[in-house]
Amino acid sequence: MKFGHEYEQALASEGFPEQWLGSAIDYKYLKKCIKKVHRELEGLGLDKETIHRLSEPLSQPENARRPSIGQHDFYSAEKPHLDSIPEEFTPQLRVLVDSATGVPLDAMLAPATRARLQKLAQSELIAARRQAHLGHHATHEIHEPATMELTKERTNSLTPDAQDAKWITIPLASAKAFFDLLGPKLEELERLREAETGKLELEIADLGAAVENVVEPVKDGFEAKRQVSYRDLYYWREMFRLYLENPIFYSNLEQNAGALTFSEAKSRLEAYDQQLRSTGLLAKMKTPAAKQAAKQFLDLNVDILKIIRFQEMNARAMSKILKKFDKRTHLEGHQFLMDLRTKYPALLPSQPVPGQKPTGGTVGFANSIARDLHAEITSKVLGIVPQIDDWTCPVCYSMAWRPVSLGCCRSLYCIRCIIKLQDDGHARCPTCNADTVTKADGRNIDFEAMDFLEKYFPLETKRRQKENEKADLARSYGEEFVKPGCEVM
Amino acid sequence: MTAPLPKRIIKETERLQSEPVPGISAQPHDDNARYFDVMVEGPGGSCYEDGEFKLELFLPDDYPMCPPRIRFLTRIYHPNIDRLGRICLDVLKNNWSPALQIRTILLSIQALLGAPNPEDPLNEAVAKQWKENQPEAIRTAREWTRLYAKKG
Ligand SMILES: [Zn+2]
Ligand SMILES: [Zn+2]
Repeated sequence: MKFGHEYEQALASEGFPEQWLGSAIDYKYLKKCIKKVHRELEGLGLDKETIHRLSEPLSQPENARRPSIGQHDFYSAEKPHLDSIPEEFTPQLRVLVDSATGVPLDAMLAPATRARLQKLAQSELIAARRQAHLGHHATHEIHEPATMELTKERTNSLTPDAQDAKWITIPLASAKAFFDLLGPKLEELERLREAETGKLELEIADLGAAVENVVEPVKDGFEAKRQVSYRDLYYWREMFRLYLENPIFYSNLEQNAGALTFSEAKSRLEAYDQQLRSTGLLAKMKTPAAKQAAKQFLDLNVDILKIIRFQEMNARAMSKILKKFDKRTHLEGHQFLMDLRTKYPALLPSQPVPGQKPTGGTVGFANSIARDLHAEITSKVLGIVPQIDDWTCPVCYSMAWRPVSLGCCRSLYCIRCIIKLQDDGHARCPTCNADTVTKADGRNIDFEAMDFLEKYFPLETKRRQKENEKADLARSYGEEFVKPGCEVM
Repeated sequence: MTAPLPKRIIKETERLQSEPVPGISAQPHDDNARYFDVMVEGPGGSCYEDGEFKLELFLPDDYPMCPPRIRFLTRIYHPNIDRLGRICLDVLKNNWSPALQIRTILLSIQALLGAPNPEDPLNEAVAKQWKENQPEAIRTAREWTRLYAKKG
């Protein structure tokens, strides 16, 4: 009751679009369905104890040799057909009986159930009537070969008069109604995931263009006209650095990579928003376009959280209702879930590998939404503003200036660091160990990278240029000629 | 007047504190930011398991053009570590690269504890024992770990 109530309330009060609500799992109604299944089973004389007994081992020594097939394996398809799981899915009980007498070969059945099963086996009529009542869904000729195989396997290992055993199946109409309701809902949720992810991807691309526009490197004499400030570039860089440091809904950290739960993500977004306010970053943005784009960035994150929340709740509803189904009917509804996982890879992360820490907190379609959109934001929005950490020299850890590329690997070094390496007799590239340092000279300066750094890191460039000038002076005239106290930053 | 600390050393130190390596710590001295107190835990499954080994690490003026200077302070029975705690490790000598860091060097040292190499000995006596009677050598290494490198 508690979860059902919470679920209904969240759906009603959290401002989800009307269209989404139509796709939400109808928890209350499914609960009613479970009651019906329960009643139907009782009507068949299959109460809790009986179903348990059906799945209990015949006797201990024989149990050891017993093939690991559930005796009340009510799921009709041996191998799920990926395109047709919800259509072909027909819940049923299967019981092994003596073909002549109809007596169940399983031990420990209540006499009433024995009688019932006997009737079922002897009278083709009953089965036929049931099937007519259920329509074509309840027929399962297609699975006959599998059934025969099962029969052989079991009887060979269990009973001496093997040839006389056969399986009878008891279709369960009410259980079918339950899964017929749940199946299409999942299809709808998957469609919703696809549609919303698509929409958000467009929003992300749009935002990417907006950010590109406000941080575009300032060209000479252009600034006033375009109403662009290079300061905005730095504010955006800081804003994105903070975001990368603590991503909202997906974590890249080695220790616990994966999607975060809605409540974790929500508190992260709140903290991020707070950070942007307390550092005054939002207020400092110079141009209206930059302010607008910043708002767009935050709104996008809110939108993503909303669909994550919706899908996460539905996943929880599904998991709870299947648990309830198992508990009330003692039929293994989770088989259904496992098959769905095959059909909708986006639905659930793969089962955690034993011995490995489970990753990701959120469940259902929410998980892949978080992962996909995080990747999208990282490449299409955050990637627009380069971070200094990606442009530092592996020797001095400052911005590589003037950037030198040795041609052996992708590392960029400061020209001064390369000269120092040469002076110290280091012949090999510090990063990849190729023999490239000795013959490096002015031709190795990477002018393209230099251009890029000048544009995107104007302040760092100025600082490094000053340092170099000072060092050149010191080199030519000695340390004492460098005026002390004029250190830049 | 002492030269200001290079940006590289500042950044490395920061990262050692903010993202520490499991089983390894390096703490700079308050009065000398180039001198570090280091602690390395013996790797699990090795004969140094459960040991806590103290080392000292110093970054010379030329760092990172030359490697850090580092030695064991805790006594250790190991074919590649001598009685003064000096370490025979290629990346501390010819194979040093300025792109290596304090953190990578300490990881190499921890790995060396997990894989002693008596073919390239620094401590001849230990290496000899290691080659001639390995079970006995390992027993001694365990004993020394228990005696000198006890945790706490
Ligand atoms: Zn290289
Ligand atoms: Zn450099």
